[in-house]
Parts: sequence; structure tokens; C-alpha cells
Amino acid sequence: MDIDFTSGAFWSALLAIVLIDLVLAGDNALIIGLVARNLPKNTQRKVIMWGTFGAIAVRAVMAILVVYILAVPGFMLAGGLALIWIARKLLTPDPERDAGHAVASAPAATFAGAVRTIVVADAVMGIDNVLGIGGAAQGSVVLIVFGLIISVPIIVWGSHLVIRLVDRFPSVILLGGTVLAWTAYTMIVREPLLVAWFEAHPAGKPLVAILVFAISLAPWYTERLPEASKPLVALLPGILAWMLCIEVAGSYLRVQIDYLLTSETGGYALEAIRWLGWLPLAALYLWVRERIALSARRAARS
Amino acid sequence: MRPAPECLYDNGPRPRHIAQVMLLIHRSRRASEAVRKVSPGGELFVASVVVCMLLASFGDALDPALFGEAGLEFALFDFSGELSLLSMRHWNLLQLLLAGAAVSAGLAVLRVFAAAFFKTPTPAPRRPVDKVPIEL
Repeated sequence: MDIDFTSGAFWSALLAIVLIDLVLAGDNALIIGLVARNLPKNTQRKVIMWGTFGAIAVRAVMAILVVYILAVPGFMLAGGLALIWIARKLLTPDPERDAGHAVASAPAATFAGAVRTIVVADAVMGIDNVLGIGGAAQGSVVLIVFGLIISVPIIVWGSHLVIRLVDRFPSVILLGGTVLAWTAYTMIVREPLLVAWFEAHPAGKPLVAILVFAISLAPWYTERLPEASKPLVALLPGILAWMLCIEVAGSYLRVQIDYLLTSETGGYALEAIRWLGWLPLAALYLWVRERIALSARRAARS
Repeated sequence: MRPAPECLYDNGPRPRHIAQVMLLIHRSRRASEAVRKVSPGGELFVASVVVCMLLASFGDALDPALFGEAGLEFALFDFSGELSLLSMRHWNLLQLLLAGAAVSAGLAVLRVFAAAFFKTPTPAPRRPVDKVPIEL
């Protein structure tokens, strides 16, 4: 990506990086204060400074590494798929996460131990974050550095503000999940191994986009669906995956599957399978789901 | 304050002190249940952004040579002469967020005006004098 400070693309990529940083790493920095809290006052300040420095350095190195790793064919697709999972995890309601308020029974006792704990914990917990910003940066190390320069101070010194912000406006989390899903989609369609295929099959892009959003945002719309419509959560991505598989099959079998352009029997057959073939599978899924629910109800009664 | 489940300390290869420190991370309950606690306005805004993102991906699938030159793009996908699916393919996140905000604001205004013009039917009182209870 070319760096042009006046372009909208630069600022929007920067916005995506900061947003991903805020929703995925808003609370990582609290570790620093917690680790250092039982140390003597003069050591505390040093631990906070070196711990922050170490965490930023490790995160910057990891993010830059991710940019180079994503340039390897295949990794962009893997990164996109991982981001779908991260977005889904971010949006899944988890009341048990509140157990994180548990007691601080083991703060570090030594300077080296405290710094090591901060750096290791930040590195372990920042993997999803680094992958997200690596994808949003579109291969630009400068953007990652800018993103870190902007977001790290917010996270380190303003973590309480960030938490208050997401507490007051939970839609920020929803927006973060949406941006992650969008980043996952752009990563998948930018995968070097798939670029030529997407050029030849333009219908694949919207299919992938809807599939990515349907899977990533499932926890959100599942909450709004009535009980009778819950199977849609599995059926919608299933049907989209079916359509995508038919597109892939069309390119492997070298059959024109657009009924307006085809002139072969194979093309018409594939077209019929595309539009009708998912119906028996959907019916089978609904039947199996019903049977499982029925047997579970019976087991509960007995 | 509930004590953390003991099994959480034993999961994974992390040293015990790191696991305990990680458990301390404050996560707001509202944030961890964002999909349940989100306000209708915020939800409308994010939903509008998602719709704009999907429209942009549809624009990416259209062939400008086919639709643009044949004039079909103007006939089918051009909303106001300037805003079209074909131009949306180049939109960045900032533009998508602004478009989502504009769409959600428009819908909110529309809802207010619709409420002013079309009165929502209100249910009759539950126990009016002239209401005959029907018991099966």
C-alpha cells in the first residue's frame, strides 16, 4: 500500500488498526499495574516503564513479522479465516468472562519477574490483535507503527477510559467485530492464490463477503432471531458455502454454470444442482436437528 | 467477589503466575455481552455499516465494462447519479462508516416522521366494561 497521508485509504486503514487495537487489547495493559502493585514504590515505576516498553517492542516486532508472513501465499487466507473466528469470539456473549475479577494472589516479587510476566502475557494475549492489525495494514509497516504509536498510549494510560467507553457504548464492540469481519473478507479476496480465481468468478466475492459476515456476526443476529428461526444460523452459511462450492466445481470441471451463457448439458445440470441441490440437505439438517432435540427432551423427561 | 474456578489455572502450558494475572483482566460485563446490551441506535448504525460493506462487495463483483458501458449500471444500480455500486467498490472504511452513519440517521428521521404521520394502533384496555370475556 502506498503511503499518502492525504488519502482516505491511509486514514481508514489507520482507523481500522486503532479500532481493532481498542476492542482486542483494551485491557491487556492492566496487567502492568497488577503485576507491579506489590513491589516497592521505586521499583514499581521502573517495572511499569520497562514492562510497557517491552510489551510495545514485542507487539511491534510481532506485527511487523505478521506483515511479512502474510505476504507468503496461503497465509493471507489462513489469517482471514482466523480473523473470522476472532470476530465471532469477540461478539459471543460470555457472562463467565466476569470471573476475570478474581483475586490477585500472585503479583510478581522481583523486578525481572514482573517485566517478564508483563511481556510474556502481552505477547500471548496480543496474538489476535497483531493478526488483526497486520491484516488491516495491507502490508504497510509504516501504518502498523503509526497504529501502535496512536493506540498503545491509549491502551496503557487510558485503559480505564477505553473500558468506560465500551461499557457506555457496547456498539463499539459490535463495530470492532464488523471491522474484523471486513478485514477478514479483504484478506481472503487478496490471497495471491485466489486472486485469479476471483477475477474469473466475480460472483465469488459477494458470496464470500456474505459468508464471512454470516459466520462472524452470527452471535449478534442469533440473539434477535426467534426460537423457530434459529436453524437459519447454520442454514444461511451452509447455503452460501454450497453456492461457493458449485462455483469452485464449475471452474474445476470447466463448465460454464451461468445459464445465460452455457450451451452444454453439463452446465444446465450444474445450474440445476446449484439452485435445487441444497434443498434436500437443508431438509435433512432440519430433520436431524429435530430428532436430536426430541431425544434430548425425552432424556431430560426420563 | 467470586473466586476464580481452580481448573482455569491448570489449563494450558502457561506458568501459574501468568495464568493468575491474566485472570485479573478487567472486562466490563456490558462489553462482554455487547450483542445483548447494545442500544437500538448503535445497532442500527452498525447494521447500516454492514449493509454498506456488503453493497461494496457486490459492486466489486460487477464488471464495469459490461455494466458501465452498456448503461445498465446507470439503469440498475445508480442511486442518485453519483452514488452507485460500481463506485462503492473503491470505498474505504472511513467512507463506509460515514455512509452507514448517514443511512442510520436517515432511517431514524424516517421513523420519527412515519410515527407522526401513521399512528401506531394501540391495544384496547385489558379489562374494559363492555369487553365480554370468552372462556373455553
